[in-house]
Amino acid sequence: MHEAWLIARREYVERIRSRSFRISTLLIPVAFAFIFGIGALSGKLAGGPKHIVVASNDAVLAESERAELIGAGRGAQVSVDVRAPIAEPELATLNAAVENKRLDGYLWLNVRPGTRQLDATYASRGSADFLGKDRMQDSIGHALVREELMKRGASSEEVKALLTDVDLKTLQVTNGKAVTADASKGFWSAYLMAFMLYFAVVFYGVNVAQSVVAEKTSRVFEVLLASAKPESLMLGKLLGVGAVGLTQMAVWIFILLVLSSSSLWMNLGLGGLAAYGVTPLRLIFFVLYFLLGFFFYSSLSAGLGATVSQESEVQQFNMLIVLPQVIGLMLIVYILSNPAALPVVLLSLFPPCTPIVMCLRMAAMPVPAWQLALSLVLMVLSIYGMAWVASRIYRVGILMYGKRPTLPEMLRWLRYS
Amino acid sequence: MTPIVEFAHVSKAYEQKLAVRDLNLRIEPGTMFGLLGPNGAGKTSSIRMMVGITIPDSGTVSLFGRPFTRESLKKVGYLPEERGLYRKMKVMDQLIFMGQLHGLTADVAASRSRAWCERLMILDAAQNKTEELSKGMQQKIQFIVTLLHEPELIIMDEPFAGLDPVNATLLQDTLVDLKKSGRAILFSTHRMDQAEKLCDEICLIHGGQAVLTGRMREVKSRYERNRVVIDFEGEDAFLSHEAIAEYRQYPGHVEIKLKDHADAQALLRAAEQQAKIYRFELVEPSLEEIFIQTVGEKVDA
Repeated sequence: MHEAWLIARREYVERIRSRSFRISTLLIPVAFAFIFGIGALSGKLAGGPKHIVVASNDAVLAESERAELIGAGRGAQVSVDVRAPIAEPELATLNAAVENKRLDGYLWLNVRPGTRQLDATYASRGSADFLGKDRMQDSIGHALVREELMKRGASSEEVKALLTDVDLKTLQVTNGKAVTADASKGFWSAYLMAFMLYFAVVFYGVNVAQSVVAEKTSRVFEVLLASAKPESLMLGKLLGVGAVGLTQMAVWIFILLVLSSSSLWMNLGLGGLAAYGVTPLRLIFFVLYFLLGFFFYSSLSAGLGATVSQESEVQQFNMLIVLPQVIGLMLIVYILSNPAALPVVLLSLFPPCTPIVMCLRMAAMPVPAWQLALSLVLMVLSIYGMAWVASRIYRVGILMYGKRPTLPEMLRWLRYS
Repeated sequence: MTPIVEFAHVSKAYEQKLAVRDLNLRIEPGTMFGLLGPNGAGKTSSIRMMVGITIPDSGTVSLFGRPFTRESLKKVGYLPEERGLYRKMKVMDQLIFMGQLHGLTADVAASRSRAWCERLMILDAAQNKTEELSKGMQQKIQFIVTLLHEPELIIMDEPFAGLDPVNATLLQDTLVDLKKSGRAILFSTHRMDQAEKLCDEICLIHGGQAVLTGRMREVKSRYERNRVVIDFEGEDAFLSHEAIAEYRQYPGHVEIKLKDHADAQALLRAAEQQAKIYRFELVEPSLEEIFIQTVGEKVDA
């Protein structure tokens, strides 16, 4: 046990000191922030103030549309001018203005004389518009309704009341109480956590395999085995690398907590962690499932790593580590929208898939305590089984060089005492 | 005296190949023991059983007079054939880690490492990463790793392979010093000249079996001193003497192989009557010749 501890400590210290640890600790969150940030901020990054013109042959409609656009463009800086009433030929001057960038675009509303039919055209240089097509259409619809209502004598208060958008609130029932939850924010947090879990487990699992192969090719094993049992070597390696992963997780969670309470975060309007459904329970299980997933896959990885003689051969069985987890990621939408469906429940209790699937389910619903407990028990049992098999393969495999063993050969190794 | 290492009818087979067959060995304290044999003879397989990396299929391995336990490994230093060091680790960190693995405290490991580095003249490299060192230096580090915990039994698999003569001599002298202080040293080699110079006892294995064992003197005495080297001036008619089986003649120098049980003294008398003798030497076969002869016989058989 003392040997396992020494080996774990060496593994930990050497890795923490390495440049790759510092780089991956910083780079992975930056990469994630980048990917998610692009989506979240693209609207805000669209650029400076916009200047557009509403042109129409109906002055009242144009004025009404102007109000709508200013209202709809909430957040974006936009100035809207009105040219009305004008006739179609006069649009040439507007075209020229757009062309030489004095104007970002103009909306041409042409009411066909004697009818209620409206032709609407939006012309711009084709760069990012400050409003999507849908919302632009909505605003025109609103403007028309507003004009019509005014014509029929409705007061402006009445018009306003009628045209106010309905705000749909989504609630999540937790412990018998309905709690405010933003479905889309919950989705993002689930997505982020599942991917982090996946990357961490795969990264450290493959890491274990690589370092087993490295010790094998450098023949360090020969020296280590003369003073420690193969089981202690494997245990030490798993504990050491696992502790590195845990350290990295801790750094990430710490960064997240600091960031989420910082003023920058608030200014971006991102809301506190609770708004994303990130509860302490979920964070605890996140770390727990990382550890369990790590031990499950890295003992597999250590056993398999011991069977090859060159680092390049490790890639051949990376699939075994990646595939079961990718299943969870591929079904992400299905799992989030049907977190209690029987196939999803079964998948979340199937140890190779448990960490990611359960993590997703926890984001979508309060998972019954017995299921969480069962998943932990099943994972611990399967880790035990996996470690038993792996350590047997490991202790024969690390002394074998040359040809890769076939599956029947590996099965025979299991019987060696 | 209790033997440090004792193999009794030890056999070990891998998948298809029988690596060691019914091997008996005995190493006393204060002995330099040579495990000799051609490549693939079973030297490394035997050594691995001695340090518990593998377990014999049959027979018993005893260390320090007791059947093998991992506990006794605390008193064993093992230098494997292939160099086994962490390439990215600093030399000093590596030495301390290995020392701790052998049960030393970090402080003791550090001070002994420093002393050894000084003795082997690599103290300057102690803060470098291992991969930055030359092969010979890495071998010295490996050597220190083996000796840090002051083992009573030192096992070295091909310790001098790939070393330049200066460093090889430095390490040989170190081993001789350790032997004088009462340690048992076993090393394997296929370099017979080294074995002949250093070993008190040898075991020659071939095809997994011991074909020749015993104290060096005793082994060599089993072979007749039947080679004669003569430096002379004058008549060479004595070369037709009845004791001579065959000879190779050079100007003023002849190398003779005598017939079995021939009388070398009679040849000397005959020679000195006909020629002026500067040198008449009766030599025993070198270990190399014994090796080739023994292994050759087995290969033929």
